[in-house]
Amino acid sequence: MSEVKLITLEINGKAESLPAPNNMTLLEALRELNHFEVKCGCEKGDCGACAVLIDGEAVDSCLMFAHSAVGQPVTTLDGLISNRDGQHPLKKAFVEKGAIQCGYCIPGMMIAAQSMLNKNPNPSKQEMREGLGGNLCRCTGYNKIFDAVEVAAHVLQCGGKN
Amino acid sequence: MDVRNENFPRPRIAEKKLHQVGKPLVRTDAKGKSEGKTRYAGDYVMPNMLHAVVLRAPMASATLKRIDVSQARALPGVACILTAADISAREAATDLPGQTGRKRLETDNQILVRTRVRYHGEPLALIAAETKAIAEKARSLIEFDLEPLAGVYDPEEALKPGAPVVQSHDNIVGSHKIRKGDIEKAFADADHIVEKTYRTQFIEHAFLEPEVGLAWVDENDVVNIRVSTQVIEHFRTIAEAIGVPHNKVRILGALVGGGFGGKEDITVEVYLALLATETGRPVKMVYSREDSWFGHGKRHPFIIKYRTGVTMDGIITGSKIDIIADAGAYVFLSPYVLLYCALASPGPYRVDNLQVDSLAVATNNMFTSAFRGFGACQAAIAHEQQMDELANTIGMDRIEFRRKNYLKKGDPIATGFKVESEVWTEQCVDQAMAALGEKTPARGALKIGRGVAAYQQSYGRLTMMHDTSECWVGIEMDGTVVVRSGVTDIGAGQGSALCQIAGELLGVPLDRAVIYNSDSAVTPLAGTSTASRALYMTGMACKNAATALRERLIKRAAVELGVQTHHVDLANNRAFVVGRSEEFISLKDLLAHCARDGIHRSELVQFNAPVTGPIDPETGQGRVRPDYAYGAQAIEVAVDTDTGEVTVLKSVAAHDVGQCINRAAVEGQIEGGTAMGIGYALSEELIYKQGQLMTPSFSEYLIPTAEDTPLEHTSIILESRSGLGPFGAKGIGEPALTPVAPAVENAIADAIGTRVLDFPLTPEKILNALGDSSI
Amino acid sequence: MLLEFDFERPQSLKQALLLIANNNKGAAHDSGHVPLAGGSNIMPDFRANRGSPRAVVDLGGIDELRFINVSDERVSIGGRTTVSDILDHPEISRLAPALYQCCKIFAGQMVRNVATIAGNVSCGSPASDSVPPLLTLDAELVLACQDGERSVPLDEYFTGYKQDVRRADELITEISWPVPAANASSLFRKVGRRKGDAITVVGVATHFEQENGVCSSVRIALGAVGPCVYRAKQAEAILQGNTVTVELIDKAAAAAASDSVPIDDVRATGDYRKQVVGTVTRRLLRQAAGLDAESGVNNV
Repeated sequence: MSEVKLITLEINGKAESLPAPNNMTLLEALRELNHFEVKCGCEKGDCGACAVLIDGEAVDSCLMFAHSAVGQPVTTLDGLISNRDGQHPLKKAFVEKGAIQCGYCIPGMMIAAQSMLNKNPNPSKQEMREGLGGNLCRCTGYNKIFDAVEVAAHVLQCGGKN
Repeated sequence: MDVRNENFPRPRIAEKKLHQVGKPLVRTDAKGKSEGKTRYAGDYVMPNMLHAVVLRAPMASATLKRIDVSQARALPGVACILTAADISAREAATDLPGQTGRKRLETDNQILVRTRVRYHGEPLALIAAETKAIAEKARSLIEFDLEPLAGVYDPEEALKPGAPVVQSHDNIVGSHKIRKGDIEKAFADADHIVEKTYRTQFIEHAFLEPEVGLAWVDENDVVNIRVSTQVIEHFRTIAEAIGVPHNKVRILGALVGGGFGGKEDITVEVYLALLATETGRPVKMVYSREDSWFGHGKRHPFIIKYRTGVTMDGIITGSKIDIIADAGAYVFLSPYVLLYCALASPGPYRVDNLQVDSLAVATNNMFTSAFRGFGACQAAIAHEQQMDELANTIGMDRIEFRRKNYLKKGDPIATGFKVESEVWTEQCVDQAMAALGEKTPARGALKIGRGVAAYQQSYGRLTMMHDTSECWVGIEMDGTVVVRSGVTDIGAGQGSALCQIAGELLGVPLDRAVIYNSDSAVTPLAGTSTASRALYMTGMACKNAATALRERLIKRAAVELGVQTHHVDLANNRAFVVGRSEEFISLKDLLAHCARDGIHRSELVQFNAPVTGPIDPETGQGRVRPDYAYGAQAIEVAVDTDTGEVTVLKSVAAHDVGQCINRAAVEGQIEGGTAMGIGYALSEELIYKQGQLMTPSFSEYLIPTAEDTPLEHTSIILESRSGLGPFGAKGIGEPALTPVAPAVENAIADAIGTRVLDFPLTPEKILNALGDSSI
Repeated sequence: MLLEFDFERPQSLKQALLLIANNNKGAAHDSGHVPLAGGSNIMPDFRANRGSPRAVVDLGGIDELRFINVSDERVSIGGRTTVSDILDHPEISRLAPALYQCCKIFAGQMVRNVATIAGNVSCGSPASDSVPPLLTLDAELVLACQDGERSVPLDEYFTGYKQDVRRADELITEISWPVPAANASSLFRKVGRRKGDAITVVGVATHFEQENGVCSSVRIALGAVGPCVYRAKQAEAILQGNTVTVELIDKAAAAAASDSVPIDDVRATGDYRKQVVGTVTRRLLRQAAGLDAESGVNNV
């Protein structure tokens, strides 16, 4: 068995360390570090539930080795919505628009939404479909998620970028 | 009169002015989920915890000749490995517990394979280790020999004499008959007889959160199981499976990351209980997505054959319906799904001459069980296609044909029961079709089609199950509200709805109400979150509890305010005089009075559904279900006649929900059901070849993504207030899905002028149908 | 996952090539020192126990491989250029419309952000969506190893189902193509079982130029209808140098269909694929030639 190295990851601006076998994914590492806000849906890159931001861009954490993430700033939902007194526009919009049902897809969905807005602050409905096409939701039919992203996009544009 | 049936009379109008009920308020569970702080079952850890995995059979029909776990056991870090030999005679029931706890004995099932493998993925062994990686490694070291056994993979084949026997002596695990009127006369009176067979496919729930649980045995020998489940009442059957008294199993249901019926049966609980008991340590089992395909029962494929007589005037004279369901390898809830399908099979139409014969047949395919719609979905796929076919045969418009045949309030349904609530099918169909607006013009290879589907979907469980539900409502000294109920919240806002109801009645805003739910030891048992019953049953228990408490508060407030009780209302944290809102007492002050006077500030209620005896086995007549919901979906599609690809352009849903509790939640259910129905019609299919699953991933089993939903969707929510639920509510969980797939099918048939009878409607099947019909 | 391996994260191309020089030249691509780019193919494969890696060579730190260079004559992208990089570049939609189009409908956002074009090419799947557009652009690959590099036309890269000329000690470091003529038409169309994030059932890319009604240049590349993505050269020959008519296009499309060798799988039968590849080819060619408005359901 190969040696297990202690690695340090930068998660939501903090340094967090754990012993990580080479074959450990970033998703496994994050949940091992008690980042339960990162969800596991398929471990194959098909569902988007495990999405996190790396340098502002959404990636499936199940498709990345923990070792590959060393030295890269990782942001989970926790980091995304913190420092805004609970009023991050995406969070507020998802709550107020009733976009959350079982909630399991939501962390990945919000990460993907933020990543999309980082590049395209004013997406059309079709662009939203394309931007969120990699995040499966079985409960909502996506309608209220689009509504929430539309509202959040507007607020973020007016109030400054994240 | 049976005192338990006192809830039959329905309120015709709202009993009080509604302050909160009906509004799209922010749900109580929304904030936690939006922050990622909500803990699902897989987000718990305990000190000294082990991780467990399941070893599954890689083939569908086989004899287990040998299993050797010695190498696996020797791996450092492995705590426990269990095979059938280690758990000897233990069996687990697969039947849903009615409140009486009666179950059909023949539904008990081996927990781990003894000698016979009946489906691909059937568990052979359980492995618990210090880490998940070690458990997976140990699993790979287990050696076993399987000798293939002749299997049967098609229910029609399984019925033939000489077919391999999977269950029972003849593979028939359920049957149901309906006999009404005179079918032969009906055919003799008909001008046309239309005979068609409709087929539906295996469907996966595809909840985003795979099955998961964490169990530990505490100092009182209670087996605690934190688990993602729709049914905490399984503690009884789990206790029996592991051989302990009922009160020694505690289910702590977490908020569920999607259920849809797939977490209605026991999934990981018995495995966890066995491992936790054996090791004396907490054990966590998190299914991978790969496990989940094999870990819970699927939606039944159905073969539904109609022979329907119709007159040139457009009246259905009678219908003979033959139904076969693939029950897969084990019985689970197949007999009930079959029953629901049989009784839904004529659709929301008046059919006085009816003969239904139905069979649930065992095969070596994956076992099938509960799934949103529970047989009525498949029936709707069939009856709505049949309605269009009948209309086309006599040259009548599809809507007008339905209009001539709608079931009306007071008419007898398939079982002879006369529907007492409003039956607004006609209004729903008309409004849904009208809301489609102008038809999109065809262009080039794109053909445009429109379809509608109507439904009758029961809410509440079979009346012969004597269903009950409990809820406790209390108010704190500072006027905040607490609700305690066993209800499981599987994402539709079951918990928040109860808070909204209690808050309505006690005059407390929703954000000052909390619910503690889903703990079989501590919260009063509410029954399953299935069968569109949670709002009806637990909502009524909650309403009645809150009402009793409300009356006490109002009575005491009236004394303070110096008026008669009927002049007092509660809202906005106050008790006030109706029409003179400046005369009030705050709830906080009122409660201080109540406390001093020893007035009980909480109430526990059990709500009982109407009760009947068993269904007549020869005729299928009887009340059978408490009540039914009605509605429709209208769909416009574009079909690319060069490739067969379909785009859903417009979707309109129209449902009579009786009364919304939370309007946004109702819309959410409708929107989600619409997406699910589109997947059901167009892209979803679990493909089994010789019982082997060929589509074990989300890249092969295709649920609708954000790019696949209708370009435009509208929900029309009608409120007849005629339901049996709180404030006249019915149910929306299943109705939201039921009409969608048939509406899509009917739209496609309208576009291409021919019908694909076999779901799903893949581009290939559509192209083939176009090719066949153009000859 | 059960597979165990060493983990290397070289900081330069030179270091990476040194590491994969360990491989036997003829070794399978998923054995030995396995290069890792986006991971969207390798990770699911490893989790399913496919492959026998001794080490994973993570190319994620090699910034020099992530570029898009545009000159007057040529466009070149690096071996680590991602699908999102293509979409974000302001000029690619003009310089390689078919490639841009395939990137737009490639998987989902998270996969687009990490998946590399080179990785999509080298995974060798006949359903790889970037290959048909690149073939129609006459793309060339640079294969580098420790000792040097060589250029291989993409058209000569694949030799069979998941087989190619890349040795196990080589990496794709660059993909380039000539800037298309200003009046060239570059189209891509994919047929799948759903609109979002679907494995291709039939994929067609076309490049088409005409002068005075005569086809001066044509490329037709077909995906998911053979053991690898390939150019329908018989169909091209029918059009090349001839006056473009609806009948000629029909003939070319029919040739493309009849020459295809699609298989049956869970997504579709070979018969369906054969029929549809002909239809889509015909449609794209008609659109390219300005003979018929594009109709039908687009992927976007």
